[in-house]
Amino acid sequence: MSKKKTKVADISKPSEQMATLDLKDLMPLPYPLTEDGLKPMKSLTEDQKCRYECSLDGVCGVGMLKPESKEEEERMVKAFLEGLKKLLSKENNWTFLQPLLLSLKYCAKCQTCNDACPVYVGSGKQEVYRPTYRSEVLRKIVHKYIDGEGIFDRLTGDDFELNWTALARLIESAYRCTLCRRCAQTCPMGVDNGLISHEIRKLFSQELGIAAPELHEKGSVQQLKVGSSTGMNPAALADIIEFMEEEIEEKTGKKIKIPVDKKGADILLIHNAGEYLAWPENPAAFAIIFDAAGINYTLSSDLVSYDAVNYGLWYDDFQLARVVLKHAQTAKELGVKKIMVGECGHAHKAMIVISDRVLTGEMNVPRESCFPLLEEIVFSGKLKLDPQKNNFPVTLHDPCNMVRLMGIVEPQRRILRELCPQFREMTPHGVDNYCCGGGSGFAIMQGMNFPDWKMAISGRMKVKQVVDAFQDEISPDIKKLLSAPCSNCKGQIRDLFRYYELGPKCGIGYTGAVEFIVNAMVDIKQPYLDLDELTA
Amino acid sequence: MPKGILAGVEFEIDEDGFIQEPEKWSEAVAEDLAKDESSITPMPPDQWRLVNYIRDYYLQFGVAPPVRMLCKKNDFDLKYVYEMFPKGPAAGACKVAGLPKPTGCV
Repeated sequence: MSKKKTKVADISKPSEQMATLDLKDLMPLPYPLTEDGLKPMKSLTEDQKCRYECSLDGVCGVGMLKPESKEEEERMVKAFLEGLKKLLSKENNWTFLQPLLLSLKYCAKCQTCNDACPVYVGSGKQEVYRPTYRSEVLRKIVHKYIDGEGIFDRLTGDDFELNWTALARLIESAYRCTLCRRCAQTCPMGVDNGLISHEIRKLFSQELGIAAPELHEKGSVQQLKVGSSTGMNPAALADIIEFMEEEIEEKTGKKIKIPVDKKGADILLIHNAGEYLAWPENPAAFAIIFDAAGINYTLSSDLVSYDAVNYGLWYDDFQLARVVLKHAQTAKELGVKKIMVGECGHAHKAMIVISDRVLTGEMNVPRESCFPLLEEIVFSGKLKLDPQKNNFPVTLHDPCNMVRLMGIVEPQRRILRELCPQFREMTPHGVDNYCCGGGSGFAIMQGMNFPDWKMAISGRMKVKQVVDAFQDEISPDIKKLLSAPCSNCKGQIRDLFRYYELGPKCGIGYTGAVEFIVNAMVDIKQPYLDLDELTA
Repeated sequence: MPKGILAGVEFEIDEDGFIQEPEKWSEAVAEDLAKDESSITPMPPDQWRLVNYIRDYYLQFGVAPPVRMLCKKNDFDLKYVYEMFPKGPAAGACKVAGLPKPTGCV
């Protein structure tokens, strides 16, 4: 196999496609997916290739139209360089300046991070997906145009003139990284290539108005305008909550009134609104558990605050701040003691961690994950639970934001180890987990041929891990479940399972985490988890 | 945005075939969209029932109904929905019902 060596400077050399994805190069998948790993990926049509920027790898994630003239290209390059100066200044990058500067400065080019990256490894080590590749491009631009340290690059000839071709590829490449930060974890210097991808996305969004449409126009803009990135208005929320109450009564015999806008509740619980539409059994399970445990909580029907998502986290600090402020304001108005985030990984990071940079003074409402409380409930004896009701093979997916970033590792495991007699870990797990491949918004990016890419490449490692975890009982006759306590991960996992037919071929289904608690409740006769339906 | 003709009417259509002007939708437009999405055309009554249910829900609430609600209220199981619309309720049935592409973590 002879592959042409890709140099950093190649990014500015016009060609139809910088990298070609060859199915034969992709990381092999375990039995019984040996053949399925080689499904051909959809190519863009000739017409799409003419209109959209896709010359990085023939995949179109951002959906960026080609500039109409040379002048427009030059204007964009200029705007990028202006934006880059701002990105590197204290006044304009109050959120992430220090880790960005350190990451730009201290990479020793040891490439230890490469093998930690599921996209790079899954792709069969495509050079353009190497975690240091896009960082190196940005570093060279900074040296040449900002800090004047580019002499060495000029001497070695690995130096390039910044043009639109390079920028169009750079932004696409920032959308080939799931921001899982496994590279940062393994780096001996602490360099964070995921953060560099994030900062590139941010620069393009804030200064050039370029972002994946699912994250911006149809994401955070829609959330701020309509109330939710799903487009769900408050009337739809009320209708769906009523539907959930009916479902709860039918499945469990319990008549539960789900509290909404209850002033003076202890906890404001915010779910990812995608749960109500795609997995209503998840917020319903929370309602059943909190009711049984006597938790004084409420949901909100306030615009923005019935959706925990904060897509700004992935690409734009301004949008992030707008949503965070709205969430905190709702908590203040309801007079709750704290905000609790349901099973949504990126909302954990946005609301609990990053918002500390936004919420000051009395707006800094206490915020926490749902898992410590759920663990407390499970071990408190308040619920009568029978683990035998979950007696089938179960494994756990670790959402990167909750686990690697925040260190919420044990509460969800103690629950599953207690309640699922056949629980097993996948390898690796905990803080060393692999991303589902849908991180940083990929799960919701559905345009053109991007879905094929995330199925074949970014999600490849997760599929391998899940199938490996159940390899001893891989027959489709043995029904088994993956617990994935994050809406974004679940969206990606649903699509992956369908793409690789893990239900019919291996008997593997997926759900969240709280569903296992309800399924173990002794006073609920009918199974809450329908294994046949989940593994169909 | 590319344009296309459906049932003799010009529409703005996104790269994945979703119409962008839901107010211009008609039954004839649905049948035209169904050529790529429905397992059978012209669509039999069950397909129509699903499409009309999704459309009415969208007009009232601005969003497609939860998949579970859609199955339950029409007494269809999910497998049957996939048989009718092989790309599934979101990418198939919603497209025929004239909804824009689903957004958010759904």
